[in-house]
Amino acid sequence: MNFSPDSFSRQSFLGPNSQAQIENCVVGVAGLGGGGSHIVQQLAHLGFLKFVLFDRDRIEASNLNRLIGGTAEDVSNHRLKIEIAQRLIVGIRPAAEVEMIADIWQNCADVLKRCDVIFGCVDGFDQRRQLESTARRYLIPLIDIGMDVLVVEGSPPEISGQVILSMPGEPCMTCMGFLNDHSLAREAARYGDAGINPQVVWSNGVLASTAVGLAVDLVTDWSKSLRKRAYLCYRGSTGTLTPHVRLDYLPPGPCPHHPTDGVGDPHLRLL
Amino acid sequence: MKADIRLLGSVYAAAIADLSRPHPVAAERVGFISVALGKLSPNHFLLLGHGYTAVPDAHYLDYPRAGACIGPDAIRAAMQRILDTGAGQLHVHLHDHSGRPRPSRTDLRDMPALVKSLNVVGPACAHGAIILSSDRAWAQVTVPDSRQLFDASAVTVVGFPLLFLNR
Repeated sequence: MNFSPDSFSRQSFLGPNSQAQIENCVVGVAGLGGGGSHIVQQLAHLGFLKFVLFDRDRIEASNLNRLIGGTAEDVSNHRLKIEIAQRLIVGIRPAAEVEMIADIWQNCADVLKRCDVIFGCVDGFDQRRQLESTARRYLIPLIDIGMDVLVVEGSPPEISGQVILSMPGEPCMTCMGFLNDHSLAREAARYGDAGINPQVVWSNGVLASTAVGLAVDLVTDWSKSLRKRAYLCYRGSTGTLTPHVRLDYLPPGPCPHHPTDGVGDPHLRLL
Repeated sequence: MKADIRLLGSVYAAAIADLSRPHPVAAERVGFISVALGKLSPNHFLLLGHGYTAVPDAHYLDYPRAGACIGPDAIRAAMQRILDTGAGQLHVHLHDHSGRPRPSRTDLRDMPALVKSLNVVGPACAHGAIILSSDRAWAQVTVPDSRQLFDASAVTVVGFPLLFLNR
């Protein structure tokens, strides 16, 4: 199907060359659940045409509360989440090239290296650390989203979430305090307040939309204001997203966890 | 053989800032970008630009027939950098216009000899040359499996914003 030149007229404020930038950008999405499915839908609407999708999971009935594009029939057919995402993308943009990896990204890291931007929609702190480490090695911006539900006895539950832009050369998620020994140890001990990975569609939508907005700004520079990393905190009870206070107290200098001269494939040296 | 080049935003900014400065003798400046290597597939390489090194003023020769002519000290320094760090070297200079830059006859004549010297000390690295305009880029590189210079298929700057200089 051909689209008229004014197909994107409503987003022409993004800049005269913005659509070419968007179409040229190879987007990787690790995790096509509640967050990733929102993200690919919005990217397709915006006109992104090159996708690499990673997820080995199949849709289950419990996913229907939040997985965008998923249907009861998909549940009956045990459809892969990446197949649902691909159907969603191609339904909006038939010209889109969607590479589907029905596996965890770690098993196909060479494919991940091709991406210009990666959306991290993975579960857990350790998965985030691994994804960021690889993104840094190949100089790829990573936009991480995630949410959790906290329960304190005597109080209503609270939804918290984050959107983080981790840019090569800039402070990483460890520098920003999001990843730390405590959170990794707590996860290793399977600590949790409200069961395994509580998720709801509206908060996923807020976080996904914010992540997409960051990506569009990064690719088109429409706002002329995105000039450094981002760490936004979501609070479900108030419906607010605010910059994390830690951003004001980051140590000066380059990121010590991912030195920029540590990029590229690992070398094999005979000693 | 295919190669994509990805430059760290700070490296690109440092290169532009340095190469835009006037030189006492030469009409333009040159520099070197340090690159690490990644493989996307057996015949598709990724060159990751993670450092920029300016050529000191004293390493230029007074040679009016070219925009800039660097002497043996500059080449030796680039070769030593390969030995010290294991990083490949991309010779870089600016063309002062917008649109896709084209290499001059001098660039095309002299570049293979320079890259050959770099390959002598760093055969496991990628080397080459990149020309930047105000909004695009042109690059030729060699990779470990091929000593012939070939055009890079993409040049991307990973900064704020993300720039696709050649795609």
